[in-house]
Amino acid sequence: MRPERPLLPPSTPPLPPQQTEEAAGRASVDVPDRLPDPVPSPILRHSPASSTRRSRSLRSVMANSPSVTFAEDIRSGSKAESSASSFENFQFRLAGSMTGTPAGVARVSTRRSASERAGSQRDLRDEDARFVYINDADHTNAPPARFPDNGIHTTKYSILTFVPRNLYEQFHRVAYVYFLILAALNQVPQLGVFSPVASILPLAFVLGVTAVKDAYEDWRRHRSDKTENNRTASVLVGGVFRPKRWKEIQVGEVVRVVANETLPCDMVLLSTSDPTGVAYVQTINLDGESNLKTRYAKQETMPTPPEALAGIIKCEKPNRNIYGFLATVDLDGRGAVSLGPSNIVLRGCEIKNTTWAIGVAVYTGRDTKVMLNNSGAPSKRSRLETHMNRETIVLTVVLVLLCSIVTLLAGIWLGDHSDELAVIPYFRKKDFSSSNADGTYKWYGAGPQVVFTFMMAVIQFQVMIPIALFISMELSRVGQAYFMVQDKHMFDGKRQAKFQCRALNINEDLGQIKYVFSDKTGTLTENQMEFRCASVHGGDFSDTDGGGGDGHSVTGEDGVVLRPKTAVKTDPKLMALLKDGAGEKAVRARDFFLTLATCNTIVPIVVDTPDPAARLLEYQGESPDEQALVYAAAAYGYTLVERTSGHIIVDVFGTRQRYDVLGLHEFDSDRKRMSVIVGCPDKTVKLFVKGADSSMFGVIDKSMNSDVVQATEKHLHSYSSIGLRTLVIGMRELSQTEFQEWQIAYEKASTSLLGRGNLLRGVATNIERNLRLLGASGIEDKLQDGVPEAIEKLRQAGIKVWVLTGDKQETAISIGYSCKLLTRDMTQIVINSHSRESCRKILDDAVSMVNKLRSFSTDPQAKMPLALIIDGNSLVYIFDTDREEKLFEVAKACDVVLCCRVAPLQKAGIVDLIKKRTSDMTLAIGDGANDVSMIQMADVGIGISGQEGRQAVMASDFAMGQFRFLVPLLLVHGHWNYQRMGYMILYNFYRNATFVFVLFWYVLYTGFTLTTAITEWSSVLYSVIYTAVPTIVVAILDKDLSRRTLLKYPQLYGAGQREENYNLRLFIFIMLDSIWQSLAIFFIPYLAYRKSVIDGASLGDLWTLSVVILVNIHLAMDVIRWNWITHAAIWGSIAATWICVMIIDSIPIMPGFWAIYKMMGTGLFWALLLAVTVVAMIPHFVAKAFREYFTPNDIQIAREMEKSQDLHDATHPEVQMSTVARA
Amino acid sequence: MDPFEVEGDSRKSNKPKYSKFTQQELPACKPLLTPGIVVSAFSLIGILFVPIGLASLSASQEIVELIDRYDTSCVPMTDKVGFIQNSKTDKTCTRTLTVPKQMKSPIYVYYQIGDFYQNHRRYVKSRSDKQLRYKEAAGLTKNCEPEGNSADGAPIIPCGLIAWSLFNDTYTISVNKKAIEVNKKGIAWQSDKNNKFGSDVYPSNFQKGNIIGGAKLNESIPLSEQEDLIVWMRTAALPTFRKLYGRIEADIMANDQLTVVIQNNYNTYSFGGSKVLVLSTTSWIGGKNNFIGVAYLTIGGLCLFLAVGFIVLYMFKPRALGDPSYLSWNRDILD
Repeated sequence: MRPERPLLPPSTPPLPPQQTEEAAGRASVDVPDRLPDPVPSPILRHSPASSTRRSRSLRSVMANSPSVTFAEDIRSGSKAESSASSFENFQFRLAGSMTGTPAGVARVSTRRSASERAGSQRDLRDEDARFVYINDADHTNAPPARFPDNGIHTTKYSILTFVPRNLYEQFHRVAYVYFLILAALNQVPQLGVFSPVASILPLAFVLGVTAVKDAYEDWRRHRSDKTENNRTASVLVGGVFRPKRWKEIQVGEVVRVVANETLPCDMVLLSTSDPTGVAYVQTINLDGESNLKTRYAKQETMPTPPEALAGIIKCEKPNRNIYGFLATVDLDGRGAVSLGPSNIVLRGCEIKNTTWAIGVAVYTGRDTKVMLNNSGAPSKRSRLETHMNRETIVLTVVLVLLCSIVTLLAGIWLGDHSDELAVIPYFRKKDFSSSNADGTYKWYGAGPQVVFTFMMAVIQFQVMIPIALFISMELSRVGQAYFMVQDKHMFDGKRQAKFQCRALNINEDLGQIKYVFSDKTGTLTENQMEFRCASVHGGDFSDTDGGGGDGHSVTGEDGVVLRPKTAVKTDPKLMALLKDGAGEKAVRARDFFLTLATCNTIVPIVVDTPDPAARLLEYQGESPDEQALVYAAAAYGYTLVERTSGHIIVDVFGTRQRYDVLGLHEFDSDRKRMSVIVGCPDKTVKLFVKGADSSMFGVIDKSMNSDVVQATEKHLHSYSSIGLRTLVIGMRELSQTEFQEWQIAYEKASTSLLGRGNLLRGVATNIERNLRLLGASGIEDKLQDGVPEAIEKLRQAGIKVWVLTGDKQETAISIGYSCKLLTRDMTQIVINSHSRESCRKILDDAVSMVNKLRSFSTDPQAKMPLALIIDGNSLVYIFDTDREEKLFEVAKACDVVLCCRVAPLQKAGIVDLIKKRTSDMTLAIGDGANDVSMIQMADVGIGISGQEGRQAVMASDFAMGQFRFLVPLLLVHGHWNYQRMGYMILYNFYRNATFVFVLFWYVLYTGFTLTTAITEWSSVLYSVIYTAVPTIVVAILDKDLSRRTLLKYPQLYGAGQREENYNLRLFIFIMLDSIWQSLAIFFIPYLAYRKSVIDGASLGDLWTLSVVILVNIHLAMDVIRWNWITHAAIWGSIAATWICVMIIDSIPIMPGFWAIYKMMGTGLFWALLLAVTVVAMIPHFVAKAFREYFTPNDIQIAREMEKSQDLHDATHPEVQMSTVARA
Repeated sequence: MDPFEVEGDSRKSNKPKYSKFTQQELPACKPLLTPGIVVSAFSLIGILFVPIGLASLSASQEIVELIDRYDTSCVPMTDKVGFIQNSKTDKTCTRTLTVPKQMKSPIYVYYQIGDFYQNHRRYVKSRSDKQLRYKEAAGLTKNCEPEGNSADGAPIIPCGLIAWSLFNDTYTISVNKKAIEVNKKGIAWQSDKNNKFGSDVYPSNFQKGNIIGGAKLNESIPLSEQEDLIVWMRTAALPTFRKLYGRIEADIMANDQLTVVIQNNYNTYSFGGSKVLVLSTTSWIGGKNNFIGVAYLTIGGLCLFLAVGFIVLYMFKPRALGDPSYLSWNRDILD
């Protein structure tokens, strides 16, 4: 099935960007065995089956690119394996030095890359393929094919499946299984502690609340599915395009899409309005990238009118890889033509700048890539919840202990009374009425009776494990998330981007972060590049003071003025040189800007303006650096006005020049450069190259003019030290033979089906040599607003900020200074070595230095601030050897760590380094696909919804618009959430334990028979109704400190880092309190009513009300901020309990009928209620008063300051709060 | 001002709507445990509790209680169980008591049974509230085993162990040899009589089995009028309990001689339970019980002590509230 293809005509579209990237992963693996399915952690993935072969080919790849670095052995495991696996995920983005990358950057999510890439590497075997008959949906869908229609169903449930599926999902929570088992046990007649309904009720209630929540979400999905499915598209039916509903589109049908329309399914382009078959698509719905991508219809399918088209497309089975596609098309036996990712347009994308496009549906409905990618973020578990498990185990032990005590005592009691049991009126085991003298009632022998007692005790005391806690936590997290999303301080006005909570179960982790790992480009910086400096032929042109800032307008063919959208300040000297200069320098300068204008993948787009005589020229491209360079070239008179697949038109100072694109070598992370071969108007063939300095200086002919090379190197150094991103530009004129040789090799490589990427890279490396150095450019990536302040605040909060960047060391350091990460008084430890040995030595030195510094100063205040700067190469060596421990030691001692030139996978490795060795919480923040692994590795992953697409956001737990929002997120919301959630968990344990202890004390006075005075209804309603609402309200609304205070004193964040609000000590204290309170609740009424006429129901009502009032008062005492909602919840809860008790006591057939009304008529009841409340609360109150006054923590003092500030504000409203002096 | 806020109307704005609620800025009160509040809270409790304690203690002291345990002396020393189980024996027993203080009417007559687990799980469940209430529900005796149905299968009304074990000692009281009426009307809760026990439900098959648990019921009187049963059916919370037997609606003077003729029918001997006759006046705090008064006095005293203690602590270790120099990071610098 190898396609026979003619030699590429010069106008053949250049290989689409992704293909090379795709191919990079293919190495020379022909048919690897099936790779394992994607697993959540990218670094853990190995593919043993193909590892050896793969690594061999890798080595050869690596040999060519010594500067490529990646963690060979981040995880233990054989080297071959790990290098293979890291290679699969190897997505390199050298932020500082690369530009020419439409898609050279890693675009494929690390989570799913490996197997899918492998999938597209395979030779398509018939059994692995899907056959699509163009224009013949019936044939295509004939059995056994049966492809799904284009309807989508994102809903989880249907009406029929809702109940079983939802229950199945909910019972994944072990606690619910526990409660279910207990409820089931309760149905055994001998064990019936509660009535059947009552025993199921709490579980049914929590399941019900969750189910309602799920059902509502699902209903919303259902609604959006419906609108989506009923959209119409134009489909070829019987030779005419007719509107058809999306859900009815079938594989094999030909669909026509016009400009600005959304694509209904994944389809292979057949033809477009563009004569060369280009279609531009916007993939914002798919990956969030707003720039246009080019897709191509094959030349073979272009000429045939769609209704006459017939043929077979043989393509891969549906997979999730949105950047890969492997297929062939065979038009009526004319031979197979290969199709790649650039020939397919995906559902959800929009057609732009293309009048129409026609394609054939290949994947529909749930098979489309967008649907296959539609999975949620991986779920993480919060630290608090993990800790909570420890306490749950303690409680389980207590529960078993209580049950054992009851069982033991019950056994002893039965033994003592064994000879009386037959006759004592309250037991009467013997059946006297029966003729059978041995007949007994409800008696199974002493042994089983004891066992039953134990089981009944477990059922009776089951709420020791708080059933409502899980649902309460979920609900409060939803509430907390609501307030985080609504916070106006975290709204990015510029991008209209709200804060997003993607993971709903780790809100409280935000309050305990100790390490922040941040990406640089796009996270600390805007990722909006601005051309600042040019070094041309050894001359530095960075003085733009006298230059114009309005850009350079050109007049279009129709006389309309085209103005580049972004103006760039120019250097008048350089401008003059370009315009009127002569000599070599001027020639080189012109070539320099010609390179900038041509050597890229930017698409110029003309946008109408209100002024009919002027239009805006907008450069669309995937790399902001390239955009900046092209805008700069335009400002200097080299305006790119048109680009098709075959040629480029550049307006050079008003003259249009046409350059034929003969070949294009995409950027890739090994070469770290891109090049273009153009046929110039003067019939010469030139190779223009731009790339990272490290890679460019290796291919530049230094002998040509060494002084220029030296000067440029100097300029590069100075550019990067002021934080600019640098690129080196070079060129070479190709001789006829050279060109022909290249052309043959290029054709061969680009038509090869296997190892295409490798071959192409070889071709590129072959031609990109002996270059003439033209110069270098410096691009500024501005810091985002408020980054230095944010970093300062985070550092004050005791959070260590690590910056991981692909930039060069100089750039990284200078950015470090400008964002106040590095300060002048810091001692920098630089680990930057090129060999394993030197790296080891430097690290050892660093360790001893750190130790020395530490021993010098025991006083923490006098500590010398340290900064560690380490580069990717050294990291490889360190991770490779067993030096990780040492690195950790050094890194821990440093206040700041800056890692430069790191690969994406290394980022995850660094996060893991910390995660493995400390219990400190880590947070990773980034904006690009290269940060995905790090975001998923860290305890909390934050995505910046920025310029680089949505990959990071999709993988993140929280997403926001700006780095500086990290401050309110962590310091304010994180602090609050942690404090609230910590308290809520403790309180829930306390609340249920108190109740269980009250039940337990009573059991001791009932012959150990698990009778309760409290009605079973109150028992089951206790934790779900009587006391649930206030804790949720408090967990959502309470604030220990105001936003103002928390931001003013970032050190207050330390409370979370030190786990001050939830720890074993607090748990023990609150449990002791719980025992004391239960003693008070039980024994005060007991002593008062001993030897009285009191009946069980009345005393039970008193106990019920006491417990509920007490736990609510306990909560009330700990509430810090009382607003009307809190008041309503707490007092309302008590009132609701009272009403419930009254309702229960109004049912005549309940044994306790009317008890509460009788009780309320006696003075003793009220006196006891008051006494119980006071006695029970005294220890808590005393401890609280003592602790807060005599051993105050920071939060307490800040609260007091806040209070006095409020008073001050009230009396002097005009005075600012800054009057509170800091000591 | 944010330009987008101005522009916001023309394009769809995502900007969260600002309100005091969404920004978590609702007006709120932030109480602090200042020394003043702590001391006044304790003082207030102390000042409130001591008088209540004194009042209830005096109320309890006012109450006159006559207690007489008769179960041991009203049976022969040997074979107590045999004696009590034999329906033929004469179980009359006369007790004489001297009233220490004047008892004002109404004087309540209780019987107190000790170590009788009326709250035993087996026991409390052995009843049918529906049967007690509704005539139609006579057959609902599922929970009443072993006293659910008679030998011939007819439902026992009222069924269950509780009713079966109905107390059947009787007391005849005379003051200074003069018989005095013990009013047995109105000893049960009015609510029970009206709504819990049916006025059309009559006892049947009751105490007809091989073993008699206690009192028999007059089958011509509806359950709602069987006040002894109603009192008995309201099962006690604790293993030693009192139940109202009747009311004496006359004052008894100090040093009056009380003669109580007891029909000692009820068998507590098989499980070693005690039986006590109690005559008691009443007050707002119920029966005689010093505990609540003592408890209040103790709590009040403790709170006053705590108030003083805190005053002393505050004086000896004063701390300025809200002084930033106490913040941990500032303290480090000072040290």
